[in-house]
Amino acid sequence: MSLLTLIFLLPLAAALVLALIPGNYRFVIRCLALLATCASMVLAVVAFCKFAGRASAPGFQFEEQHAWASSAGISYHVGADGLNMGLILMGAVVLFAAVCVSWRINTREKEYYVLLLLMGGGILGAFASLDLFFFYVLHELALVPAFILIGVWGAGKDKNYAAYQITLYLSLGALLVLAGLLAVYLQMPAGARTFDIVKLTAYFKANPMQAGAQHWIFPLLLFGFGILVSLYPFHTWAPTGYGSAPTGAAMIHAGVLKKFGLYGLLRVALPLMPESAQRWAAVIAILGLGNIIWCGAAAMRQRDLNLLIGNSSVAHVGFAFLGIASMSLIGFTGAVVIMVAHGFLAALTFALSGYLRDELKTLDMDQMGGLLKRLPFIGTVMIMAMMAGCGLPGFAGFFGEALVFFGGWARSETVTVLAIWGALIIAGVYMLRAIRSIWHGEKDWDNLADLTSFKRRMPYGLLLAGLIVFGCFPRLLTDHITASVTPVAQLVSAVPGGPR
Amino acid sequence: MNETAPWLILFLPLLASVVITLFLQRKPGLAAMASVGAALISFVLTLVLLAQFLNGRALDVSATWLQAGALHIDFGLHFDALSFIMLLIVAGVGSLIHIYSVGYMRGDPCYGRFFACMSLFIFSMLGIVLSNNFFQMFVFWELVGLSSYLLIGFWHQKSSAADAAKKAFLCNRLGDFGFFAGIVLIWAAAGTLNFKEINPALFGTAATAAGLLIFCGTVGKSAQFPLHVWLPDAMEGPTPVSALIHAATMVAAGVYMLCRVFFIFTVPSLQVIAWIGGITALLSALIAVQQDDIKRILAYSTISQLGYMVMAVGFAAPPAAMFHLATHAFFKALLFLGAGSVIHAMSQEQDIWKMGALRHKMPVTYWTFLAATLAIGGMPPLSGFYSKDAILAAAWEHDKALFAIGVFVAFLTTFYMFRLFFVVFLGQAKSDAVSHAHESPPVMTVPLLILAALSIIGGFIGINHFIAPQFSRAAAEVPIFAPFEPFKAAPGAAALGLAAFVLGLFGAFLLYAGKRSDPIRENAAGLSRLMRDKFYFDEFYAKLVALFHDTPAAILNLGDQAIKLLVRLVHGAVEWTGRVLRLIQTGNLQTYTLLMAAGAALALYFILTH
Repeated sequence: MSLLTLIFLLPLAAALVLALIPGNYRFVIRCLALLATCASMVLAVVAFCKFAGRASAPGFQFEEQHAWASSAGISYHVGADGLNMGLILMGAVVLFAAVCVSWRINTREKEYYVLLLLMGGGILGAFASLDLFFFYVLHELALVPAFILIGVWGAGKDKNYAAYQITLYLSLGALLVLAGLLAVYLQMPAGARTFDIVKLTAYFKANPMQAGAQHWIFPLLLFGFGILVSLYPFHTWAPTGYGSAPTGAAMIHAGVLKKFGLYGLLRVALPLMPESAQRWAAVIAILGLGNIIWCGAAAMRQRDLNLLIGNSSVAHVGFAFLGIASMSLIGFTGAVVIMVAHGFLAALTFALSGYLRDELKTLDMDQMGGLLKRLPFIGTVMIMAMMAGCGLPGFAGFFGEALVFFGGWARSETVTVLAIWGALIIAGVYMLRAIRSIWHGEKDWDNLADLTSFKRRMPYGLLLAGLIVFGCFPRLLTDHITASVTPVAQLVSAVPGGPR
Repeated sequence: MNETAPWLILFLPLLASVVITLFLQRKPGLAAMASVGAALISFVLTLVLLAQFLNGRALDVSATWLQAGALHIDFGLHFDALSFIMLLIVAGVGSLIHIYSVGYMRGDPCYGRFFACMSLFIFSMLGIVLSNNFFQMFVFWELVGLSSYLLIGFWHQKSSAADAAKKAFLCNRLGDFGFFAGIVLIWAAAGTLNFKEINPALFGTAATAAGLLIFCGTVGKSAQFPLHVWLPDAMEGPTPVSALIHAATMVAAGVYMLCRVFFIFTVPSLQVIAWIGGITALLSALIAVQQDDIKRILAYSTISQLGYMVMAVGFAAPPAAMFHLATHAFFKALLFLGAGSVIHAMSQEQDIWKMGALRHKMPVTYWTFLAATLAIGGMPPLSGFYSKDAILAAAWEHDKALFAIGVFVAFLTTFYMFRLFFVVFLGQAKSDAVSHAHESPPVMTVPLLILAALSIIGGFIGINHFIAPQFSRAAAEVPIFAPFEPFKAAPGAAALGLAAFVLGLFGAFLLYAGKRSDPIRENAAGLSRLMRDKFYFDEFYAKLVALFHDTPAAILNLGDQAIKLLVRLVHGAVEWTGRVLRLIQTGNLQTYTLLMAAGAALALYFILTH
């Protein structure tokens, strides 16, 4: 059995076992969830180290394929290359961290952990899959629990509306994706139809899809995947949804699940329909800029910490879209780095804000201030996370953003300059204002408990370590990413009318 | 040794910072030792490498940091005369200030955090100095910004300190915005980021734009007009921080960077650089004349002196800029540490009009402060005279208007520095706190003495001779000890510079010797208020930010609400349709039959008519 299968099957299997355990065995339930996700994380780290140790080359590692419904062209096929290995590692770490920080959950623990594990295991499986059927179905499996998690364990007065909104939006996105994927499937000649991504890519590379078909299928995938990633102007579900979600769910959703759309664009939409991708590049760039500037500006106005983080996370996604819109090797590499970096970052910030919410019973920044004195650990980590959020070097996001700027310059100087403004100035303004009003200042508090034990600090440390390790040694990611996106970049740049 | 020593210089301070952060927060003694030790070892290693460098050994090391397609980013250390000068200043003056801090910060509850941040700063600053490419320089450029932010906001419970930190970071970010855009532009034009490989001839029409964008970085970091507003507020940080970061090293990084990438500047961009430097020097010197806070006077003086250095680069005279940078590092660090010693003695009082007569209370501080004041004023044969003269001589050659500004600023410098000196150290005591004042402990005064020695002899230790060959092949054959050389080389500049010093000293003596309040304030209230309120830049910028950042943000946020409303409307429409349709589902059989019959009739009608 491939390592990848184990990585995503462990949480899913644990979810199954948990479902069978009586709900009052609370200690056993939590232990089992921790154990499964920890094992999955360790395996992911092992896989990543093995992977990073090998010379970078196109193609997949840890491949595993079993025939399943061959009449429909469906098979179980998993594999890792530079595009998804980093995401799988990030997802496994985030999943473990999310389970770790859920120790304060004390209602319906069993159901909570089952749903959390389904969500995490599902999305890890979607990332590992090289077959569109599993790719789609496993993502759907991960989508559904969010609704229940927000509705039952969520916080805030709008949580029901937020739960409906997030679910309807994402179902709409998933529906568009489904239509697009089926359309792609039907573009193959009847005898050769397959859901296998590798075969599809090879087929459409040899026999490019008809321009007419591309031009209506690509937008389906673009906006379908786009809605899943909160592409402007379909972004308003994200801040409110995350604001109401329980901490663990927000971490997995914002950190891992949201990367699925970007991953889908790079894995499926671009290689299969390069011509259309080139045509839509300008639109993607403008919408990505919309994310960066518009949502960044909205983040500047928020006084609720979770809404600020949510808007900022939506703004960050814009950089990944810009990287994709650059239709260049450098930009694609940057986009993937941002996906990984932002996963760690979003999970970390939501974990921290969740802790604050539990301690203060509010996330209104106007009521905070001077907290650093009482919460030195949480405060220090959050200040680091916020610095990472405004693109400070030393954290992985910086390299991603820098690559996007270098890659995007040839396509449009104006868009790139505006994006730099968004990264350095707008993000700087709202992050520093937030640090100022939450952590600094004269207000004094009592009855606040900081995290002191290693056990409780570890999940935050793990996520931070992800940001710092890739921020200092970007080649751990980029060498393999570059190798994997090179074929995509070649396909899109072979299209006439590509970048100058 | 040869391979690892360069890396050790850079990474030892980082190691110290990490170790202190993780393990030594509660062990102040060890934390200070680690931090001071790292700085000192870096300094010693620099000396060792300097010896090897002078023997003609190549010391550069480099590795690939990132590679993606055509983008190749190195992480490398580059050693030449320019970087050695800066290394010696950063590690040397840095070590002295570290030692001083051991005394100054004693008793602070966050002693460990202070030294962790200081070491982080030294690491980042050394990184700027040693970078061999634009990208790496930008990375460390941002990291010094971070350490500066952390240290300005060190006492983060004080609102003013927290605000100042935020302001400093954001002003720097504005400069970095241009800097980074310039870096991307240069990469797009030249295809490389390594200083050695960039060929400015490839820039074409973008050359001036590239130069000016890169210069934005300097405007932010070196607090040049119009981004000068953050540096005075940065004085909220502990005084050793002001001395190290906001006087001697970090703010000078902008000047260093200009010298490092001097080859990319075109004539028009140099013109802009020179004028920005000149305007900054004049503006901040004028403001300094009417400040009352001892650290703020020094802060404006720093901005003004940085303006001199930037102006020198604009005159295509990087050696003069680096010379002044070095001497300024000595005497300005000394002035700040002296001011710190005074503040320490006066139990945190910073208003000069509450001091006075400290001469007898604090003799070491008094004498060293006098040396620094004379040096910055430009009295021969102290270091400041020679470095300032080099700049004035370059101005004399290039631009008479800027030369006039330069001489006038020299006059103002002497004037406001002696105003400070007379009011603080001479005259009568102006508050009770003076009677409790006492000299600082040796751990603080020894660094003062060393810096005083350097400030005095700085003109004769060959800084100029060491750096000049890197920029011009025809280095003048002047001996290292040549006290009268300026009067031979450019007599006009030297004589006017000296006259400005004498006039300034005389003016300050007339107006301030023995005074208890400021005569300018009493006799020219309007002018004084304008200068005291810093020409209202802060107020103007606050309006600007509100107009161009906060208002659009509010509008876009409203847009977000509009999108949400639209979604609610769609949602509402679906729900409303459902409610209407529900009315039909009455459960009444007759209604259903009626509807069915109506439907059938309608269908029949359509079939029959078409």
